[in-house]
Amino acid sequence: MAMRALLIRGGVYLFLFFILVFNLTPFFWMLSTSLKTDAEVHAIPPTWWPRQPTLEEGYKKVLMWTNFPRYFLNSTLVSLSAAFISTLVGALAGYGFSRFYFPGRSFLIGILLASQMLPGVLLVGPYFKMLAKIGLYDSHLGLILAFSTLTLPFSAWMLKGFIDTVPHELDEAALLDGCTRLHAFIRVIFPLITPGMVATVIFAFLLAWGDLLWALCLTTTDSMATVTLGLSRLVTQFRVIWPQLMAGSVIAAFPPMLLYLFLQKYLVRGLTGGAVKE
Amino acid sequence: MNRVKRFWLFLAFVTFAVLGSAQKVTIVLSNWHLVEPHWEKSIKEAVAEFMRRNPDIEVVLDYVSYAEKETKYMTAIEAGVGPDVMHLGPAEISFGLFASRGYFYDLTPFIAREEPGFLDAWYPAVVQALTYNGKIYALGNNYQPMVLMWNKRLFAEAGLDPEKPPATWDEFLAYAKALTRDRDGDGRIDTWGFGTVGRVDPGFQLRFTPVLYSFGADYLTPDLRCAAINSPAAKEAVKFWVELYTVHGVIPPGVTDMSPGKVREQFAAEKIAMKITSAWNLPIVRTLRPELPWAEIIGVAPIPVKRGLDPEYRTTAFLSYYAMNRNTKHPEAAWRLLKFLTSKEAQEKWFRDAYVLSARRDVSEQYEPLLADPYARAIAAALPTAKMVPMIPEWPQIIEAINVAVQKGFIGEPIDRAWAEAYRKINEILEPYRPRGAACPPY
Amino acid sequence: MKTKQRSVDFTGYWFILPCFLLLLGVLGFPMVMAVLNSFAPIWTKGLSNFTLAYYRKLFNDPIFFNSLLRTVYFVGATVALHLVLGLLVALALNSAIRARRFFRVVAILPWTVPDVIAGLVWACMYDPLSGLLNDALHRLGLIASPVEWLANPRLVMPSVILADVWRGYPFVMLVLLAGLQAIPREQYEAAKVDGASALHEFLYITLPNLKPLIAIATILDIIWQTRRFGLIWVMTEGGPARATEILSVLAYRQYFKFFNFEYASAISVVLALILLAIGIPYIRAISRRI
Repeated sequence: MAMRALLIRGGVYLFLFFILVFNLTPFFWMLSTSLKTDAEVHAIPPTWWPRQPTLEEGYKKVLMWTNFPRYFLNSTLVSLSAAFISTLVGALAGYGFSRFYFPGRSFLIGILLASQMLPGVLLVGPYFKMLAKIGLYDSHLGLILAFSTLTLPFSAWMLKGFIDTVPHELDEAALLDGCTRLHAFIRVIFPLITPGMVATVIFAFLLAWGDLLWALCLTTTDSMATVTLGLSRLVTQFRVIWPQLMAGSVIAAFPPMLLYLFLQKYLVRGLTGGAVKE
Repeated sequence: MNRVKRFWLFLAFVTFAVLGSAQKVTIVLSNWHLVEPHWEKSIKEAVAEFMRRNPDIEVVLDYVSYAEKETKYMTAIEAGVGPDVMHLGPAEISFGLFASRGYFYDLTPFIAREEPGFLDAWYPAVVQALTYNGKIYALGNNYQPMVLMWNKRLFAEAGLDPEKPPATWDEFLAYAKALTRDRDGDGRIDTWGFGTVGRVDPGFQLRFTPVLYSFGADYLTPDLRCAAINSPAAKEAVKFWVELYTVHGVIPPGVTDMSPGKVREQFAAEKIAMKITSAWNLPIVRTLRPELPWAEIIGVAPIPVKRGLDPEYRTTAFLSYYAMNRNTKHPEAAWRLLKFLTSKEAQEKWFRDAYVLSARRDVSEQYEPLLADPYARAIAAALPTAKMVPMIPEWPQIIEAINVAVQKGFIGEPIDRAWAEAYRKINEILEPYRPRGAACPPY
Repeated sequence: MKTKQRSVDFTGYWFILPCFLLLLGVLGFPMVMAVLNSFAPIWTKGLSNFTLAYYRKLFNDPIFFNSLLRTVYFVGATVALHLVLGLLVALALNSAIRARRFFRVVAILPWTVPDVIAGLVWACMYDPLSGLLNDALHRLGLIASPVEWLANPRLVMPSVILADVWRGYPFVMLVLLAGLQAIPREQYEAAKVDGASALHEFLYITLPNLKPLIAIATILDIIWQTRRFGLIWVMTEGGPARATEILSVLAYRQYFKFFNFEYASAISVVLALILLAIGIPYIRAISRRI
């Protein structure tokens, strides 16, 4: 029995080792490229690690030449806002779908899903027209609204799934204590579905963070641009400016990482939720 | 004129001038060159100079990447907004589409106001390319003909005369075979005679068209109603092109994934000895490998021709243009900016800073520093032999069909079948141009 | 869960109101316009030229059907791999391993890269001559001549799928990890008392508890993977010879490169209908379950 457990553990670690290599190799390549000179990037055969790592060509240029710090701020603002709006509104909707029966419920759940099925390619044009009519284009609000809505169905579905696992007795007890429905939702449900909310926050954040098409079309002035948009400009007419692009991408991986690190503990805390389940 | 009247006139003039200077007009210039580090400075200087001379106009710069500009402009213009002045190119992927959908501001009235012969400064092919239904919608900016570039070092190593480029495609093939070899002696071929773009990419057209033209063929019939790639010359050209890879192996592996940037990297790494390119190649190859004396290594020659043939046009050119948005609220100011950016003076500065040839003949044929530069001069000499592809809105679809057919040839499908498929596809695309019921000849 | 009373309660509308206001306000108009656009050039001529011609063209277009098959291939493979890999990694990370925190961060890392950047990095690693992959395989003595990962029409789809799995599985993993965390410990403890094996625990406790999340993650992943665009576009632009031209790439090209707005809309509407046909049973199952 102990032997078998050891074997299983060994298998798990071996598997995790492969995952480690798989996940990190592209990052290693990004990091390595970001420290190379423009000339070394194109070496045949490639050098795995730069002969003389330099911060000049990648990091310094991307931070000095472009408006990168500004893009960073914009992306963080837009992505965070979209993530929180999407999660909050999604949690409310998830609660509504999970706890109540009303006419058209299934239909509305279906609508939620159907709203995901047309590609952004088709939607961005009409959305831009709409924004242009009300003078909202080239604003962060337009982007935030778009990203919140694009991720909303996911948040609602996901959080409905989580709320379903919370026993009804809990919010009913709260109602008996004299709480309103909204109160019961905030006091009882909210703490129990944090893992799910963390997942939706991260999801929405990353969708907004990584988007190119909407940011490209909906912003015009440089001070409105996002990180991904800024990075995409390093793919120029004649070549990809690899050291800068990779340096920018490495830097751009940090905010999502920090957010994830910060939220990680909540991802685990949801454990207690099951304690009261029958 | 009595005094009172004069006074009122004077007053009106002063008011006008004061109001005019107080109310600065703001226009937006969008230009993909702004995101290219080595070109941004030059554009900014030119715009600063323009604003100095036109204190009543404030120009705001809009950054956009080369690959995304059409997407961005189209979405904005459709919604009734967008930059006032835009820089677009290559012309064939946007001009017909934008003009046919009325995205541009008609420049014809502005040009009529200029002195007669205003347009004569440009190459006629450029003016013709930027005219749609008899109206002029843009002025030419960059205009760079495709030429053959070769690596003299590799020529010498392979026992070829480094100063004698191939003049015919037969010679070209013989040279390419000699240049494809194993240089480091490990038994594997590591250097190839020729490199080119095989990916679905705007750069494909620029490299393939010269071959088609120099074999004496063309894409479409002169009335633009049918495909013309069923001609024996066109079939011969595409067969020659594909076999460079499939039969002769003088192009490095992976051609169907080769973008212009990657081919350039291979040229800089001296993995390929010849390529079809233009003036932009030299500065970029220098950036990629600064340690080599590229000025001594690179040679520039006209595109080879089929033996015994002397076609009027043997190459095509990269053309970019400045145009105005139909939604502009300040057409006068936008026109002044557009005129300034395409003026002789600005184009000369552009050559000095960016090493780019101009669509203006009075620059590419007369500007002293350009003529003094052996490469620029040699490349500019090819301009009169360059023909633009038809600027019809369907062009992007047509060239995609060609591009895919060539890809199919490269990956080993019978090229004749793929070519016939492309022929039918193009005729299908051109159907609206033909009188109802009229058919094109069979392949 | 079973004890729930099925009385109609209109309070629910208040909870879902903000969600549907946002959806309607932001996506309502664009969606209606996109669908109408597949029948007529609405932006220039309004609905006066209403026609089914674009759909007719679609059903006679071999390129569309080729693309549909590619889409099924791409979506099927990536969704399956996302799920399998996501579940395995989530299980591994949920077990009592050392350096759990570190692994959790590493596991999520690829997802922080925007998909266009991911595509560029992988394309760079796949480069036949200056890429990491061929160099590694060459050093290990596994290949004699460079492999053309993205230029060979038979290799290109697996290559693109691998890159997408790298980018995409962490999301499924995160959802399932969150789900695993929510499974009450007592259930496992009870099973332990009964002497259940690990496989038993997995089959009778873990999997049933995860089922709703797996269902949601799968259907959403199918939808997103069908719309996945940036990664493939920067890696291959649908090539070579249309080998990776999935419908989202075809629609993008038709829309933004050819300005065939109507045709692109028709493609997308047909695709949406297919997705809906797959999705409706899911919705049924999910709304009936409770």
